[in-house]
Amino acid sequence: MQRLLGRFAWVLVSALGALCLGGIAIHRGEPINSIWLVLAGACTFLVGYRFYAGFIAAKVLCLDDRRATPAERLRDGHDFEPTNKWILFGHHFAAIAGPGPLVGPTLAAQFGYLPGTLWIILGAVICGAVQDFVVLFCSMRRNGKSLGQMAREEMGRTGGIVAMIAVLMIMVILLAVVALVVVNALKDSPWGTFTIAATMPIAVLMGLMLRYWRPGRVLEVSLLGFVLVVAGVFGGQWVSRSAQFAPWFTFSAITLAAFIVIYGFVASALPVWLLLAPRDYLSTFVKLGVVMLLALGIIAVRPQLQMAPLTRFIDGTGPIFAGKIFPFCFITIACGAISGFHALISSGTSPKMIAREGHALPVGYGSMLLEGFVALMAMIAACVLEPGVFFAVNAPAGIVGATPQAAVASITSWGFPVTADQMATLARHVGEQTLFARTGGAPSLALGMAHIFARGVGGDAILGFWYHFAIMFEALFILTILDAGTRVGRFMLQDLLGHVYAPFHRISWMPGVVIASAAMVIAWGYFLFQGVQDPLGGINSLWPLFGIANQLLATIALCLCTTILIKMHGARYMWVTSMPLAWLVSATFAASWQKIFSAVPRIGFLAQASQLQSKLDAGLVVASKIGETQTLIFNASLDAVVCGLFLLMTALVLADSIRLWTGILAGVRRAQTHETPFVPSRLNAEEI
Amino acid sequence: MRRFLAFVLCLLREIGDENAYRRHLAAHGLTHSAQEWQVFFDAKARARYQRAKCC
Repeated sequence: MQRLLGRFAWVLVSALGALCLGGIAIHRGEPINSIWLVLAGACTFLVGYRFYAGFIAAKVLCLDDRRATPAERLRDGHDFEPTNKWILFGHHFAAIAGPGPLVGPTLAAQFGYLPGTLWIILGAVICGAVQDFVVLFCSMRRNGKSLGQMAREEMGRTGGIVAMIAVLMIMVILLAVVALVVVNALKDSPWGTFTIAATMPIAVLMGLMLRYWRPGRVLEVSLLGFVLVVAGVFGGQWVSRSAQFAPWFTFSAITLAAFIVIYGFVASALPVWLLLAPRDYLSTFVKLGVVMLLALGIIAVRPQLQMAPLTRFIDGTGPIFAGKIFPFCFITIACGAISGFHALISSGTSPKMIAREGHALPVGYGSMLLEGFVALMAMIAACVLEPGVFFAVNAPAGIVGATPQAAVASITSWGFPVTADQMATLARHVGEQTLFARTGGAPSLALGMAHIFARGVGGDAILGFWYHFAIMFEALFILTILDAGTRVGRFMLQDLLGHVYAPFHRISWMPGVVIASAAMVIAWGYFLFQGVQDPLGGINSLWPLFGIANQLLATIALCLCTTILIKMHGARYMWVTSMPLAWLVSATFAASWQKIFSAVPRIGFLAQASQLQSKLDAGLVVASKIGETQTLIFNASLDAVVCGLFLLMTALVLADSIRLWTGILAGVRRAQTHETPFVPSRLNAEEI
Repeated sequence: MRRFLAFVLCLLREIGDENAYRRHLAAHGLTHSAQEWQVFFDAKARARYQRAKCC
């Protein structure tokens, strides 16, 4: 009877999910309530977790709780430690959740809410969660080895080397694009700049407390840090209203970019305990808290989506980034649906902490579904804004015009009415001088979140506080990614340079630290300045590059997973990972090809360079702009080369993998896996 | 509710490395001191910040 009731409940959940998915897919006309998206996502994720993930766990990966995991066999109290599955679930989720699932869906909302929502829901279930789960499983069966180590062992040298180069290149593009998001959120904003500037001495104070005065009291010190950061948000309001202090914190995009580059260099060279680690703790706690708050806010407020399901920009003429739904929606939303970076986390700390093999299901698959849910909330937050406001905030001045009047005229002519007065009132409410052309996604996401929070607590009277609280939340963990990423890039460079000059191998050798940090900062700083100077807002060229790079890493991860599945079962279950791989390769190849060779200058880098060169040759560029135009031509050509390299690496890994698979399936190659042998588990239930 | 709050606190302690520090002390039969925390933290941070943070 209980079994029958259980089946009936699953039929109900499936039917509700199908109803909601169908509802949002065919709904047109009146605004739709966000609860439809929440229910569609929740039901699909539940069904996917129970049945699809259950099938993969039982039949494909054959998870075996009797088998001792690395956490048990290699237990050392540090890295290898059997951990409660829900604790590890939270830990893993905190590690994979970054700005990607928040910013990507916000940018993709230019197509309307439908394409991005469907991609997040279906992509997370069929692609992203499968990748994370299988990589976690593979690492767990190989003593917690990293993606690069597994690629080298299972696929040969090509996969391993490409994985290492890909990670370094992705880091450079990632750091540039997230820095650009922060710069665009803080330019000409004394409130926002003061709040973010205040987080630095607060983090240093936390670092000193943890080191000397309250050692080991991370929660206590982080709570104090949180109180001070919130006080900083209030202080920012006071600063923005002060005629004396506001100019001290009002900077142009170029000046802010210079500050961030200097900050990146200093932070990567400072001891981690002083700045990076305390802010990392604080940003992780704030991130988890705000995500929960947003979920509660959406459920409590149930806001209407103002954005249409599909906008006119599905034809590829979008103002935020150019290109049609396929492939650009699928590389713009990476982290909420599938992200190659997750493969690094799934083969990092988590496989070393899994107590039972069965726990890989909630940790690997479940965490990614929760990440998909975060992306869905970001999509909702972006779409609760009036479309005219959304485009006024996100469209660059190079597309809509530099003055408020020109911008609102352009946006209204697209069918999204908005007025200069409306934007001025909104800017006043959130304590900003202007909200026009704040590209990058963070400000519009913060606006959407502020609207949801303000409807729950405080109303329009504290809209400004909520807006800047959301900006602080986004910038806090973006800055943590910046200095941690620069540091990791520095280590990788030192490792590479160590083959040329041995002292570089010593990570504390000061000349090596300075040279490698500077090289890393110059690399991402160059792309940051390129984005800041780009008349199309920077996001148009940099975000697709980041998406392509991220999906390249996912391609490598899925090639590895497919190789291991073929070695385990032959061709029988290779579709589990080769199906998402095929989709990802199609999207990545199509996007890379279009970004390089499209004849439309806003899409194709070469066409953009060629158009600018023609203008230069025809004497259509004024003398004062000739240098700038030459820089833009060089930048477009450089982006084409970078994109070409990504394309080449993807093709190389794929060709090498196909060669390996056909060899194994034809019986020419040995299907030898590098799994550790079976050891029976002796772990007691009380220990986990 | 109490179990849920205990879980949240435990999760926060895990994220904040407080649990890992307790395990470190227990595994090596040590007692808490500022110096011991620094040794533990430096080893933990060295490993953690050699890996990329997720986007």
